[in-house]
Amino acid sequence: MERGLSWKEKLAERIPPELGREIDIFEQQMELRKQGKIDEKVFAETRLRRGIYGQRYDNGQRHDGKRVQKLKLSADIIKGPDTLWDAPGMMRIKIPFGGVTPEQLEILADLSEEYSDGVAHVTTRQDFQLHYVHINDTPALMRRLAAVRVTTREACGNSVRNVTACPLAGICREQVFDVTPYAKASSRFLMGHPDTQDFGRKVKIAFSGCEQNPCGLVTMHDMGAIAKTRVVDGKEQRGFAFYVGGGLGSVPYKAKLFDEFLPEEELLPTMQAISRVFARLGEKRNRARARIKFLIANLGIDEFRKLVSEERQKLSSDPRWTDFLASVNQRSEAPLKPGISLNGHQRAEGFEAWYATNVYKQRQPGYVAATVTLPLGDASADQLRALADIARRFVKDTIRTTVEQNILFRWVSEADLPEFYQAIKAIGLGAADAATIVDVTACPGTDTCKLGIASSRGLARELRYRLGEKSLELDAAVKNLRIKVSGCFNSCGQHHIADIGFYGINRNVKGFQVPHFQVILGGKFHDNAGEYGVPIGAVPSKRVPEAVSSISEFYVRKREKDERFQDFVGRVGKKAVKDLLEDLTKIPAHEVDPSYYTDWGDPREFTLADMGIGECAGEVVSQAEFTLAASERELFEAQLLLDAGRPQEAVKAAYLSMVRAAQGLVKDQNPSISEDENQIIEEFTKRFYDTQLFWDKYAGGKFAEYLFKAKEFINEGKAADADRAVQLLQEAQLFIDAAHDCHNKARGSVQNAVTIGAGAQPGA
Amino acid sequence: MKMDLQKINVKFFAVEKEPVPLTAFIDIFHSWIQASDGIYHDVADYSHMTNGPGIVLVAQDANVHIDETGGRRGLLYTQKARLPGSNQERLRVVLCAALENCRKLEQEPALRGKLKFSGDEVLISINDRLLAPNTTESFQALKPDVEAVAGQLFNGASFALSYKEDSRRRFSIAVRTFERFDVDGLIANIGSEARHS
Repeated sequence: MERGLSWKEKLAERIPPELGREIDIFEQQMELRKQGKIDEKVFAETRLRRGIYGQRYDNGQRHDGKRVQKLKLSADIIKGPDTLWDAPGMMRIKIPFGGVTPEQLEILADLSEEYSDGVAHVTTRQDFQLHYVHINDTPALMRRLAAVRVTTREACGNSVRNVTACPLAGICREQVFDVTPYAKASSRFLMGHPDTQDFGRKVKIAFSGCEQNPCGLVTMHDMGAIAKTRVVDGKEQRGFAFYVGGGLGSVPYKAKLFDEFLPEEELLPTMQAISRVFARLGEKRNRARARIKFLIANLGIDEFRKLVSEERQKLSSDPRWTDFLASVNQRSEAPLKPGISLNGHQRAEGFEAWYATNVYKQRQPGYVAATVTLPLGDASADQLRALADIARRFVKDTIRTTVEQNILFRWVSEADLPEFYQAIKAIGLGAADAATIVDVTACPGTDTCKLGIASSRGLARELRYRLGEKSLELDAAVKNLRIKVSGCFNSCGQHHIADIGFYGINRNVKGFQVPHFQVILGGKFHDNAGEYGVPIGAVPSKRVPEAVSSISEFYVRKREKDERFQDFVGRVGKKAVKDLLEDLTKIPAHEVDPSYYTDWGDPREFTLADMGIGECAGEVVSQAEFTLAASERELFEAQLLLDAGRPQEAVKAAYLSMVRAAQGLVKDQNPSISEDENQIIEEFTKRFYDTQLFWDKYAGGKFAEYLFKAKEFINEGKAADADRAVQLLQEAQLFIDAAHDCHNKARGSVQNAVTIGAGAQPGA
Repeated sequence: MKMDLQKINVKFFAVEKEPVPLTAFIDIFHSWIQASDGIYHDVADYSHMTNGPGIVLVAQDANVHIDETGGRRGLLYTQKARLPGSNQERLRVVLCAALENCRKLEQEPALRGKLKFSGDEVLISINDRLLAPNTTESFQALKPDVEAVAGQLFNGASFALSYKEDSRRRFSIAVRTFERFDVDGLIANIGSEARHS
């Protein structure tokens, strides 16, 4: 057999040496891991920092709806704790500020075909992801990306993740200035920087050209910069309103204003100084408390600012801080064609509807930005290649991915739009409704994510289908709403900032596990993720489309003139919305209609088995479920108190709801547990926390710690403002969800034991 | 130029008496998983895409797609794991595996006979641009092996190979015969030998 060239040899001339070296080193690390010469945890973080992520079932087990199957995979080598080497994984590909070229799209197409399942997925942070990738293929994959100047470095792991930016930057009618060069410079500067290599968790950075629009989502990021100018001595100076400590995750934090005007030359050194402070003082052991948001919450923003300022003074000057500033005013993009208005051109069927939702008039006359809507963020290899061709035909290389999982073509001459529309329609991407209620955003959820509880993509697909069918009939107020879905509380689908958000949870209904989604209402996508929504209640997964209809119809019926959805929810109150959804919380018995006990697009009887269970044990006591239900009611009352402007009482009520949930669990083991809160917490700690029965596989003891922290807060008699109250209520909701899970697992293990016992003794 | 043929994909095109919704294959593939023992990893649902990979039954060694790429539905079998033997033996193994999956679907009670696969045409692709760039040289190198296997597949009936050079697309050869074959017939022609090779 003749030996052909490897990708390494074939692309040697095209791969930048520094990228090539990094990939060579990673390939060596793979070899060392195979030989057992690198610790599995060290290798796991190593591969994560190369963008190679785990994927569902990579522990070698999968529940098929009836039983757990052991997958036929070699267990000889692992690529991390409980992660088999041969199991398919996910590859995240960094696309700084979403900027991508036709050549890069073509390579993504090739890679998706050869190493994945033919689909490239745009994420909610402007990355691309490929799924079902074998780790052995990753060096070749990385080299092929490197040859077109794309890296996967620090796409995952405890590092600075993809730096995102408004996709309209540079063409936006309302921008202060183009933030693209700053996003690009910070991405380059921080990637691989020695000061960003020792974090306890990830750091996400975003840039926005204005305050009022949502595109940059600055306030939900660890660091965020909003373009500002000021006049000093008659000269305009550029800078940023700079924010720190935002983040979604299980409990969302809004970023705090770090500096109302950070001059442009101070941007990179400030980021570097923040990185140093975070690396030095950020939590390292407890991953659940390791983001910058927790460090700032602990220190207070003033102390944090002081520490950063001190650190900044210690930094040695680096020319990279300001070198890029010389060219920030130069236009980095050039249009392919002259800008000509649309008038008089023949338009295909569907064009007007598409134009109404998918086209944005640029600040530059005659040019528009056109959104290509990718359903669920997915594009096939053929579609990517066709999009590359379309780009070359209409715009050359001015393409960006968006946080709404779409692709934006900038600098389209308006006169070309009819032909542009025909071209994208021909490849099945001519759907209208970008940035509307139809354009549902979703994280991967149970499709591929190890942490997924419910099928976010399945639900999003169903909602897209149903809402798309009646798109033209939708009231304009409803059409402008955003829906975002996460498969679990971790918020990769960004449910907190949607008008209508959902995150997946599990509920027990008469002994069966049933996929549910927690309904989150009133989040604000605008104003750079200006408000976070609040939980209303859990709805069975299969009834969520009805819930969306009920909520949107209620809004149309009861809204006051031009009332925004957030204001509407605030005015009518959560109780009214909860009452509206009350009927939808019920489902038929399993024997009447088992479809409610499965998830969207997945006929398997619903189970959490694929997340890994078995930590919790105990007896099934119906009183426990009753008590858990009581805790939810109490939490809801806490929300009503908060709505009524009584945060102090709300905090107390939320804390007591957590105590009630803890009591429910304790009742499993000690039915005579008293009503005394101290005794309940003591027993809960002894029986569930110390034993790690109340332990989440990935979050550890985080949820129990919410209870302990709340107790501390109450006992110290601290005053609670609205922000603290909102946070504590969110934590209470997560604690109660975790209590349900713990109880369900305990119940499941008892039921499984009975089943196994019966099977083992058929004659008994 | 001698080519070490791996990552062979084959697609047999569907002939539907009435359109079967893509989502119907989700339940079917899950039932296949339940009837297997750890071979399959999962079912990927791309029913929301136009002319996409459709529904994918994912496994370690090979995936089975109800694929709609190119606007034509068919069963696409994508061999991922390396195969032993000669190029012709590998082609036979993959063709046979694809046909067995076609037959299994045709016999699927849930489809009630609505789905058949055409035995007159097969698309063979090599899912590795390094190994098999889409060039005339690749075609010339593989042509003898493909002709030999196609001769056996169509039991001596005449057939034609077509190939389009396109540096961006994977190397593919379409094989068409002018006689009628069904899946059972093709398996009878090629199956027993492939299974034993």
